[in-house]
Amino acid sequence: MIEVRDLLKVFDTRGQVVRAVDNVSTGVAKGEVVVVLGPSGSGKSTFLRCLNGLEHFDAGHVSINGIPLADPKTDINAYRREVGMVFQHFNLFPHMTVLENLCLAQKVVRKRNKAEREAKARALLDKVGIAEKANEFPSRLSGGQQQRVAIARALAMEPKVMLFDEPTSALDPEMVGEVLDVMKTLAKEGMTMVCVTHEMGFAREVADRVLFFDHGKLLEDSAPAAFFDSPKDPRAQAFLRQVL
Amino acid sequence: MIKHKKAQWPWHGLTALVLVGLAISLYLATSMMAYEWRWNRVPQYFAYQAEEAQRAASYGTVAEIVVQGDNARVTLKGEDGEPQVLDVVKDSLQLSRGDDVAEGDQIGVTRHWAAGPLAWGLWTTLWLSVVSGALGLVIGLFAGLCRLSNNPTLRDLSTVYVELVRGTPLLVQIFIFYFFIGTVLNLSREFAGVAALALFTGAYVAEIVRAGVQSIARGQNEAARSLGLNASQSMRHVILPQAFKRVLPPLAGQFISLVKDTSLVSVIAITELTKSGREAITTSFSTFEIWFCVAGLYLLINLPLSHLASRLERRLAQSD
Repeated sequence: MIEVRDLLKVFDTRGQVVRAVDNVSTGVAKGEVVVVLGPSGSGKSTFLRCLNGLEHFDAGHVSINGIPLADPKTDINAYRREVGMVFQHFNLFPHMTVLENLCLAQKVVRKRNKAEREAKARALLDKVGIAEKANEFPSRLSGGQQQRVAIARALAMEPKVMLFDEPTSALDPEMVGEVLDVMKTLAKEGMTMVCVTHEMGFAREVADRVLFFDHGKLLEDSAPAAFFDSPKDPRAQAFLRQVL
Repeated sequence: MIKHKKAQWPWHGLTALVLVGLAISLYLATSMMAYEWRWNRVPQYFAYQAEEAQRAASYGTVAEIVVQGDNARVTLKGEDGEPQVLDVVKDSLQLSRGDDVAEGDQIGVTRHWAAGPLAWGLWTTLWLSVVSGALGLVIGLFAGLCRLSNNPTLRDLSTVYVELVRGTPLLVQIFIFYFFIGTVLNLSREFAGVAALALFTGAYVAEIVRAGVQSIARGQNEAARSLGLNASQSMRHVILPQAFKRVLPPLAGQFISLVKDTSLVSVIAITELTKSGREAITTSFSTFEIWFCVAGLYLLINLPLSHLASRLERRLAQSD
């Protein structure tokens, strides 16, 4: 489903060269849930953002569903339609109601008619458990509710892959559960997912594979049980000692 | 510390007192220099009864005068036998029945209400402001987006435009437009005036638009793009609506400035409010009254404008 080969992303700010993603090669199979772990600044978010072209990479090859991202002939907008993304800070459109947030891309990109897109939106809001907030503005919602709306908004485009960029990091602790529950449901339904997260419990319970990043390098790629119980890389061992 | 709620009205009362005091001292100051206020001369500059002379078309005699209320219907019988019927105001009638008239003799006048110079000036200022404001908004939006473009040529051109216009006085721009570009391209003075005002406003609107767009968090564009919207769809549906809400106050300020700046086109002999005020003074000699009236008329345009802007701002704030 997702194929990454020799991905390289270098940040060059005023002479300071940082290899944010350093020769990463991996793949994600259809229906697989991959959790990306690592200390902050390890390049895991940059890696995720390279997957849907929000970040331009310097070398390598990324393809989803066989469509290469770096190919100039690839229509980046058509590519992104198939890849949903959920952000740390939700990034809901504040000037639109929840329903309008879910309908905008369906209308502009998918050209669905009003009845169809609203039915889809309401069904998704129902699924994430906030059907009654359809006509509220995002500012009236709690963080957890906003993040669930953001997930529903991405799902409204019927993506084949979902990317999660620290979806629970900006939430109050009591709201983390409701968002993770939605993600678990998605995983059970067979959605292909890549999650950057600090939720070790989620990783252990839901992930099929865990990727461990540090200093832009993919250091470990193993099943969650193996990773949490007997990490092979010394930096992964140190990281787990810190967080567990 | 506990916040006590204090009554506000005594302070508003004090404000009123200060204003009244200022007005009184102004009045006293003018009375000391023996200025004679003649407000009764002002209304005729807004609207007056225009007189139109009615003249005989050929040699003949007055055949009949029929008086109906304030009007009189005069029938002239020409030498060639052709009758001519004229309606005039009774008190302006200078002939009686049987009088001979020559071709071109004035029989009387008709009166009708006509807009005075200040009313025309107000109208000219209004349409100048509306037309150049609308054009300036379009130019500014386009130039502002060009400044944010990835294309270096568009970016350079819009930067040159903004810097050139912001760095030179509007008065000079108006002269250049009228005397140089207007002569080369054979433009009318109104066209030159509107073009200068629109380009001037456009440069400032461009900067306002740019600032507004840049103030929207990057995540908004990223979220829109990640949903498959292209750059212009994201701009149109996500960024600009939010930016518009933020730039409304400076934009309203810019349009209020524009209304006032239209007074500068009087230098190329467009008779807008300020110039008609000056003309009214040359015939009335009521300098103070006319200038106060002109100031009041500008306020008459601008106060509703800022009221409208704040109402719009409140309406857009419902999503916060």
